[in-house]
Amino acid sequence: MSAARTSIASLARRIGPNALPIAILVIVIAFAIAQPAFLKPDNLIGIVRQVALVGIMAICTTFVIMTGGVDLSVGPVLAIGGLVSFFCLQLGLPLPIVLLAGLSVGVLIGFVNGAIIAFLQLPPIIVTLATLSIVRGSALILGGTDQHIIRDEPAYSFIGAGTLAGLPFSIYLFVLVALAMIFIQRQTPLGLLVTAIGDNERAAYLSGHRTRMTKTLVYGISGFGAALAGIIQSSQVHTASANYGPFGTELDVIAAVVVGGTSIMGGKGSVARTILGVLFLGIVNNGMNILNVSIDIQLIAKGAIIVVALALAELK
Amino acid sequence: MNIRPATFALIVFFAAILAFFCIFAPRFATPSTFENLMAGFSFVAILAIGQSFPILTRGIDLSIGAIVAVVGMVTFDLSLIFHLPGYIILPIALLVGTLAGAINGLLIVYLRLQPFIATLATLATYRGLVYAISGRQLVPGLSTTPISDKWITGLENYYDVGGWLGLSKLIGMPWFPLSFFVMLGLFALFQIILLGTRFGRDVHTVGGNFEAARLAGINTGRIIIAAYAISGFCAGVAALLLVARLTTSTEALGFGMELTAIAAAVIGGVSLAGGVGSVFGPALGAFFLGVVLLGLTQMGISQYVQQIITGAILLAAVGYDRLLVLRRQRRVTANISQVAADG
Amino acid sequence: MADTPIIKAIGLTKVYGNLPALSDANLTVMPGEVRALIGSNGAGKSTLIKILTGAVSPTLGRVQLNGETAPLGDPSEMIRRGVACIYQHSNLAPAMSVLDNMFLGRQRAYRFGLLDRRRQRKEALALLEKHAIDLDLDATVANLPTVKQKEVEIMKALALDARAILMDEPTGWLAASEVAKLHATIRALKGRGVGIVYISHMLDEIFAVCDTMTIMRDGKVIAESAVADIDRPRVVALMVGEKLARESAQATHQKRQPRGTGEVRLSAKNLTKRGVFRDISFDLHAGEIFCITGLIGSKRTELIRTFFGSDRFDSGTLEVEGKSVAFRGPTQAIAHGIGFVPEDRHREGLMLDMSMTENLAMATLNRFHRAGLISLRKMVEAGKRSIANLSIQPPDGKRPVRLLSGGNQQKVLVGKWLNLGPRIIILDEPTVGVDVGAKAEIYAILRAERDRGAAVLVVSSDLEEVMTVADRIGVMAAGRLKAVHDADKTGMDEIVREIGGDA
Repeated sequence: MSAARTSIASLARRIGPNALPIAILVIVIAFAIAQPAFLKPDNLIGIVRQVALVGIMAICTTFVIMTGGVDLSVGPVLAIGGLVSFFCLQLGLPLPIVLLAGLSVGVLIGFVNGAIIAFLQLPPIIVTLATLSIVRGSALILGGTDQHIIRDEPAYSFIGAGTLAGLPFSIYLFVLVALAMIFIQRQTPLGLLVTAIGDNERAAYLSGHRTRMTKTLVYGISGFGAALAGIIQSSQVHTASANYGPFGTELDVIAAVVVGGTSIMGGKGSVARTILGVLFLGIVNNGMNILNVSIDIQLIAKGAIIVVALALAELK
Repeated sequence: MNIRPATFALIVFFAAILAFFCIFAPRFATPSTFENLMAGFSFVAILAIGQSFPILTRGIDLSIGAIVAVVGMVTFDLSLIFHLPGYIILPIALLVGTLAGAINGLLIVYLRLQPFIATLATLATYRGLVYAISGRQLVPGLSTTPISDKWITGLENYYDVGGWLGLSKLIGMPWFPLSFFVMLGLFALFQIILLGTRFGRDVHTVGGNFEAARLAGINTGRIIIAAYAISGFCAGVAALLLVARLTTSTEALGFGMELTAIAAAVIGGVSLAGGVGSVFGPALGAFFLGVVLLGLTQMGISQYVQQIITGAILLAAVGYDRLLVLRRQRRVTANISQVAADG
Repeated sequence: MADTPIIKAIGLTKVYGNLPALSDANLTVMPGEVRALIGSNGAGKSTLIKILTGAVSPTLGRVQLNGETAPLGDPSEMIRRGVACIYQHSNLAPAMSVLDNMFLGRQRAYRFGLLDRRRQRKEALALLEKHAIDLDLDATVANLPTVKQKEVEIMKALALDARAILMDEPTGWLAASEVAKLHATIRALKGRGVGIVYISHMLDEIFAVCDTMTIMRDGKVIAESAVADIDRPRVVALMVGEKLARESAQATHQKRQPRGTGEVRLSAKNLTKRGVFRDISFDLHAGEIFCITGLIGSKRTELIRTFFGSDRFDSGTLEVEGKSVAFRGPTQAIAHGIGFVPEDRHREGLMLDMSMTENLAMATLNRFHRAGLISLRKMVEAGKRSIANLSIQPPDGKRPVRLLSGGNQQKVLVGKWLNLGPRIIILDEPTVGVDVGAKAEIYAILRAERDRGAAVLVVSSDLEEVMTVADRIGVMAAGRLKAVHDADKTGMDEIVREIGGDA
């Protein structure tokens, strides 16, 4: 009896950290049985392509959440990133400058967020809520409510719509960002520092680390991710609009991070887990679409997944 | 009762901004502007009053917009599909709102989820629920049928208070919408609960020092669940007022309102650190936003700039709150030095 | 009824993980009895108190209150049965008024929970008058100085009309005159048959106000006695244990090295922070252990924080190795080879969910990376070395620090700074909540650092500790450095006199 219990306990312990990959596997098998079309390469590629935007934003905002913060402003930053790139294209600037401009707007907004949060010590939810409003207003001033069509820019359009060796180029970008952030987390002091700040900011400060600069940087990364997603999206749909990244985008991004197992209180978490969270939500979404599950069940399932995933994490 | 400096500052700012627009915005100082203000922002104030309770317990409720939609759709269904009379629908609708809020509280207390996450999850779930029960989808053709039940449409009513009081002869008075009086009623009720009852004190204690509350024998779980239930209840009231105005409901009812409500509460001086604030500030905060937005509109300033200004106001509000905290800390240090000098 | 004890705790045991914090402890308090509960930090006093307030439920054992067995682990139940507690840390709601805080969780109310403020105010005023305490009932607690906040806590306990009051270091923040006032209050309560448990490190206070004492060590009750039947040396010997007492006696005979090598590493001249400390001047030498002792609230911690740049001073000069410095943050202090072990290792010292290796590397990350890349291999190797040198148990570098015992956690924290090879190492209460064995090891580490040539600055309330490790001793009271002694030319009695002199 007690032997059985220990073996169950040890099994639970072993499964614990791998619950998400196992859940993904189970779901893939379930969908594949219910609808064999699910496993077609086109569909699988489609899933990754679909999650690429939210995925890039979630990966880049993981550090923010690991430091115990949150970034609600990613939606409008996505919009303004695409818009700025569009206007730079209009000016006939070369592509690298266009991309640089689009990305630096995002990074800059992130830095402002981070600096206000870190140096003035204001609550992240409110600060990024305020910038959400400010950036959306700015984007609308810049581009109005129109959809600006991007024509005859093959190089720019390649970013979101092109294919390389049979795979959409946006997937390469997604993978690149993912690898880069995993590398930063595992191989550079920044990764360690982010965990340390989330675990105990005061102790990190007393260990001689520049915690406020680090927090500012981390929000800059989040802004970078949102702007990159904006560029990819505008290139994918050949339009830029101030209304892209509608309200709710930020919540999807945060959901992916926390379902991956990063604690909203900071400390525990990793980029790799966020990627799993993104894929998990993407697969569930796609599978339900293929099975023609209606939107109501899809939304309810999303809520239930968040609750179950976090309640399980709490039990451990 | 002493007025907190943050609240006092808000009153001063409110008066100043009101005076500013009355002087500089053309056609601002007219009855119709104030009618629009009361009609357009009473339900925001109600949501902000409700939102104060979770924030006071150091939580947050992201799901109120979705609860508004659920309650709106329940009202729609009961009236147009089941043809129930309004006096039965109203209590059911409020009960649904309260229940949805209480579920948030249960998730937070019993599953120990972070409020942000728990209400993020229910935000998705309740929105899904709206689609699931949407009478617009279940019974095609209903989407163009207005709700005509007098109990419900009666909520959208205007009263010529100025006329009754005989003031209209002196100055142009706006007609007061019923929603404004509902807001006043809820404000009075919750202000009394917060400041004048044991429950209100316990809410402050739980948010101000959770461990002290626990050790003082306060049933912290019950207080937290009740706080979210109140938030849900207020969302229910707001939903009914909106449905009465639109004479219908949509799946997107209340979309994005949680953030406006949170902003109003924070502008009203409710601290996200918990335990600080009342419902007067949030109610005033909602109208403060309203005055700014209406005033800017009448000055011909684009909506886009208004969004920027809204964000800036929000930043200023938290920044001011932070400043007060810093000043208080400095004063405490000064007090200690006083004691040291005496000793 | 006089024969029924107000509190009778029987066989209380509490195990955290596999670490016993309290084993088989008994405690009896009769009506009108003031019982001292004493022991070093980590002896199990807090755990015992937490069980009696219902904050923690014991693994084993039961508690009888007024002869009835009480259900445990529920604070409201204990309050209902008349047990109140004045905690060491604030248990007030900072944004609420004094009046509200006095009735926290037990607001007087009419029907429907409507507050009966008039009755509440009347009761509060009567209480303040009875105990001759001057408090503004409408003031917001957060705006009060700490001393006043402590009074609110005391009033909060008294407002309960409690049968038993537990006081955990109630005088930590109080000035001498206020301590006397508190003791008068305690005697008045005693006269009305209230039972009191009094926890304090200050033997003076215990001999002044207590009737009986229970001495704890390592989670066990090791002696009970009437205060009249015991003398101070005996109490101290019981508290720290015969072995440590013997060791410390031996250590006392060890060679002291006042002023070490004579080289001045850190020099403070007229250091002042308005309202906190004034005119602090002393030199810290290479190769010595300098201990600063004094009461809690004598601003020792505030002083040494300025040496590390985590706080600023207003005037005076601070010289490190002959150069005048004013650190704007720990980063600069660390660049000067200063290490700092804070008092509260959980809040300020360790990343509890990170591994031992990561924690050990935290202050010296720049040694483990090249061209911006971290070398995990190097980090793990350095961690292994530290773990072996400090004999941290279990020697598993991947283990999260949270799972270690207090003593081993403290060794990790100290080890983090040793990796820096500090020229000056500052430690604030280095053995709080650490078991006796680890204590001795930490002392050995400090001596080794001294012998290596580092300047060691220790702040400690634990006089035994001070007498054991110090080469020189500084005594602080009320923000001033009152005296500096060579450890071999002074004794416990002199230090005790100076500490308590006029706090």
